[in-house]
Amino acid sequence: MARGHHYRRRTSEQTDLDMTSFLNLMVVLVPFLLITAVFSRITIVELSLPSSAGSAEITEPSFRIEVIVRSTGLELTDGSSVISRIPMVDDEYDLGMLAEQVLELKRGHPDDDDASVLLEPQIEYDHLIQVMDVVRSAELPGTDDQEEITRLALFTDVSIGDAP
Amino acid sequence: MARNRTKTTKMNLTALMDVFTILVFFLLVNSATTEVLETPKQITLPASVVEEKPRETVVIFVSPTEVTVQGQPVALVADILATENQNIGPIADRLAEVSKNIIGLRTLTVAESKEVTILADRSVPFNVVKKVMSTATSEGYGRISLAVLQKASDKPRS
Repeated sequence: MARGHHYRRRTSEQTDLDMTSFLNLMVVLVPFLLITAVFSRITIVELSLPSSAGSAEITEPSFRIEVIVRSTGLELTDGSSVISRIPMVDDEYDLGMLAEQVLELKRGHPDDDDASVLLEPQIEYDHLIQVMDVVRSAELPGTDDQEEITRLALFTDVSIGDAP
Repeated sequence: MARNRTKTTKMNLTALMDVFTILVFFLLVNSATTEVLETPKQITLPASVVEEKPRETVVIFVSPTEVTVQGQPVALVADILATENQNIGPIADRLAEVSKNIIGLRTLTVAESKEVTILADRSVPFNVVKKVMSTATSEGYGRISLAVLQKASDKPRS
């Protein structure tokens, strides 16, 4: 071939893409999408309720964990007698202690799933959700060789009622 | 200065373009997945670790001041606190109305689901929520769900 040399001109000439129109689009689109973006998701807690038209249920003598939330603290009962009382810590309910005790109870009764959360009338709704969370499932930090946190279902069938 | 040429430096915009492109793609995908239930702006829902998605049901919205059923305000929380009986009249009426006024497919699914989703602010006292729930059950809505914000699981204290 006659030409052994490249045309240097071709390689050194670079076409610059004109970014201004693309930039215009981005500058308008990104703030708009950021403002209208929703990052929190709504999920639901399902409740098990006895139907009001149903016949009176025969209360079985099975184990049923109850957490009574009072303005003075928490009480844990097993359906008939109080197992423990958990006083408030720093004006907040001691959910850590409740979690430990519920976990222990579950270890003792692995087949029972019923639980009730009973509250006094003036307690805030938020506390109801937090207590339900603690009763429904617990987390165990993973063992030393695994990093994941395992989630354990404790008492999944939670119902709500008034504190006696 | 002998040379007074104004020299314009050209900014290298490739990095900016990269970031904006990625951001736009992410946000487009994010806003494309629309939720069944919108996060209400006026109230703060409590947070919980549950993972069940909300369904197409009758929505009862309880703010610290009033109660709204399917978009229409029906009662004031102050009135609910004042009444003694367990069922709240206006809410019951509105629920009955909802199950009768079936216009299109969406209202049909809502009415047939026989389920109520309660969006209540976290500071609402329990007796108000309880009265709302018992009103709903007495109107035939057997299932009740409480809407919460999904939070990542936090470590146990032990």
